[in-house]
Amino acid sequence: MNEPWGKDGPAVAARGVTKTYANGVRAVRAVDLEVPPGEIRAVVGENGAGKSTLMKMFYGLEQPSAGEILVGGRPRVLRGPASAIALGVGMVHQNLMLVPSFTVAQNVVLGVEPGRRGLVDPKAAVETTARLAEESGLTVDPRARVDEVSVGMRQRTEILKALHRRARVLILDEPTAVLTPQETEDLFAAVRRLRDGGMTVLFISHKLREVREISDKVSVMRAGSLVGTVATADATERSLAAMMVGRDMSLDVDRTPARPTGTTLRVRGLGYETPIGQCLHGLDFDVAAGEIVGVAGIEGNGQSELAEILAGLRRPTGGTVHIDGTDTAGLDVAGHRRAGIGYVPEDRLHNGAALDASIADNLVVDRHDRPPLARHGVLHPGALRAHADRLIDQYAIRTPDPSVPVRALSGGNMQKVIVARELSAGPRLLIASQVTRGVDIGAMRFMYERLVAARDEGAAVLLISADLTELLALSDRLLVLKDGRLVARFDDTTGLTEKRVGLYMLGVEEHDRDRLTAHLDDPWEEAP
Amino acid sequence: MTTTPMTAIETEDRRQYRATRRRDFAVDLSMALATILAALAIGFLVMLATGNDPIRAYEAMLTGPLDRSFRVGRWLEDATTLTLLGLSVAIPFRARQISLGAESQVYAGALAAATVAIFLPLPPVFAVIVPMAAAAAAGAGMGLVPGSMKARLGANEIVATLMLNAIVVRVYDYLVNGPLKESGSSAVHSKNIQPDSALTPLTDWFGVPLGRANIGLGVMLLTAVALWLLLTRTPLGYRIRMTGANPDFAAYGGIRVPRVIEWSFVIGGAVAGLAGAHLVQGVYGRLEPGLAGSLAFEGIVVALLARNNPLVVVVAGLFYSYLRAGGDIMEQQTDVGTEIVVVIQAVIVLLVTAQALPNLLKRRIARKQVGIR
Repeated sequence: MNEPWGKDGPAVAARGVTKTYANGVRAVRAVDLEVPPGEIRAVVGENGAGKSTLMKMFYGLEQPSAGEILVGGRPRVLRGPASAIALGVGMVHQNLMLVPSFTVAQNVVLGVEPGRRGLVDPKAAVETTARLAEESGLTVDPRARVDEVSVGMRQRTEILKALHRRARVLILDEPTAVLTPQETEDLFAAVRRLRDGGMTVLFISHKLREVREISDKVSVMRAGSLVGTVATADATERSLAAMMVGRDMSLDVDRTPARPTGTTLRVRGLGYETPIGQCLHGLDFDVAAGEIVGVAGIEGNGQSELAEILAGLRRPTGGTVHIDGTDTAGLDVAGHRRAGIGYVPEDRLHNGAALDASIADNLVVDRHDRPPLARHGVLHPGALRAHADRLIDQYAIRTPDPSVPVRALSGGNMQKVIVARELSAGPRLLIASQVTRGVDIGAMRFMYERLVAARDEGAAVLLISADLTELLALSDRLLVLKDGRLVARFDDTTGLTEKRVGLYMLGVEEHDRDRLTAHLDDPWEEAP
Repeated sequence: MTTTPMTAIETEDRRQYRATRRRDFAVDLSMALATILAALAIGFLVMLATGNDPIRAYEAMLTGPLDRSFRVGRWLEDATTLTLLGLSVAIPFRARQISLGAESQVYAGALAAATVAIFLPLPPVFAVIVPMAAAAAAGAGMGLVPGSMKARLGANEIVATLMLNAIVVRVYDYLVNGPLKESGSSAVHSKNIQPDSALTPLTDWFGVPLGRANIGLGVMLLTAVALWLLLTRTPLGYRIRMTGANPDFAAYGGIRVPRVIEWSFVIGGAVAGLAGAHLVQGVYGRLEPGLAGSLAFEGIVVALLARNNPLVVVVAGLFYSYLRAGGDIMEQQTDVGTEIVVVIQAVIVLLVTAQALPNLLKRRIARKQVGIR
């Protein structure tokens, strides 16, 4: 099955590997990387630094334009994932790739099923899965259907699938992005156990704190090149961040205590019934002008629905929402925007931007029919261009020209276009959903500063994020959503730890109703 | 993939970016010419293979339409209708609505124009304008039906427009063969329109015989410019473009997408209605069975060739009509049938709609430049 591995030498290596894409972009430049067997190697870098591309070459999803890939000490030509898998390389993608209607065991053995004469032996599949889970410490329920288990268990299923195929090298692409702190700890314990059994692990991440916790060595990439490899023990988050961006940079935001004034957003008894997605049940909360209120929760617990209801993209089925006293019931999206709501959507590619339209056009979707851009039903290209030039300058959007289509921008730069549009409207309430997802560290810092600046200018900010570090760094107050209900409310975030919030996210602990609705005028009466 | 790095464009300065854009434009233009040449070359080979004289045939086809002034007139008259129909679908296409309803709209427009121009006595200038306005209104109405069905009820616009075509064409045939047929005539057609309602022939202006070409040509050019201004210089045009680029983004930005979709159908329908008025008031002077021929669907091809840019639609319409006119002349003068023109048109459409060649070339240039650096 597996072609023989060499006796010694690195488990995986790249020698002078360069990858140039068909559009002329050079994603990886002359990278030399060696990972010995039995090591956890973190690969870090900003978005677009080339780390994903490099990993795809190890897994056979991309072929190098120059240089060679070594697996098991020998140069290999990987024509596709199948040849990588045959050599013992497994990869767990950011977006998990499982069959939702199959059980965990069926997914684990998929493609290499136990059984005879073309028949699958379901019992053997369950036994194999249970044995692998036992050995590796990756707890799963082999008989559960994948679409009914948590994201954490799905991820463990993916890893078991790789183990079942006898992987000796495991590539984990941003594995913690979807996990709670507790699940992350469990994953790390399992990964260490695999390493002690001789597994080589390549760990891709943005989160430097986790990298410091899990890895033996860290390789840093910047702009397609390998900047260096350091022993984790010798590195600090600060030094790694400096290597990533090429200069000293920290994500600590200078934030004076909030000075909240009157209530801007007033949500009472908000309910939402939907056949698909998460329902919301009786939400009561306020956001005052001049404060940032974070919303924590495992993804899919109602954050998206809440954001879209507040932005007017969905209609609630119960309760009321007021913006500075304006009832938003019956208003359309434009009406919500007129009431002073700005919204940075969680998926900028889905509805945050029109990718093939120019930057200038993307910046005016909410104001294209008003002076100074349009007068008497005529749109003025000069005004449009001046408007774009001003925002490009103010928000440091890197582009040669406002007519560049948004598709050509990097993630962080594209997000700047969206944030520039929403903040320049001068919103009374800004809903910022996953505002730093997939953006580089420089853009991340920029977003943080802008959000705090918007707060200090008197905007109410509702910050929804899957990144607890980000929430704790920015939020003046914090709410936790679980299964469409508010389960916790922290009016003071100083000293609050990720672990503590994680307990509420998982539903282990819960605040009582009095605490959740304390100091709210006229909280919604719960239906008997 | 969001992770694919696309940062190259950010590192270029503005001058380089403009140079790239100019280069891309040059590539587009030369590729369009190369496409036409390739199509002609394929036609050449087909004629050789079928034992004809390709040189004589091409001479007839390519120089024929300009040979005599009345042939120029035939070309311009055909191009006017074709371009208007191309413009009529380009607008819904820009809103990402696949409207195939130009046929029902052009016949509705022809019926409305003819009814007014035959039966309603009007003072001179009004006699021309009122039937045209009636045609535009009728076309717009025919656009509103599938537009509303799509926008409000979620009906598939392709099915809705095709079904409406079937109905309207039957109704048209019935009216021309029945109530509107000129009594006492053996041929099937309506009465002639009142002389005052006719669009002035270009022959009267230029003093050379230009066949049935008329000032509808000017109307077509004005319409193209107006639609271009609509798309680029008005809030409604912006809304149409954004709805076409990403309807979820448009909705998120506060644009009422269903209303924009309806407007795109209505505007397109009105333009197709004008094409019907041109056929009645400018070309035939009465209703005839099947007066739009296959032009409604060739309009779709013209819009696609022009990538739905109204100004380019004019160029594409003139070019496409030229091939049509040349094909007819070639058939008259040589043994080669108009089928060869269909082959050439088909090859052009395939190459242009695939857009494979220009993109391949641009990528190759980009790669070469990276290699040099």
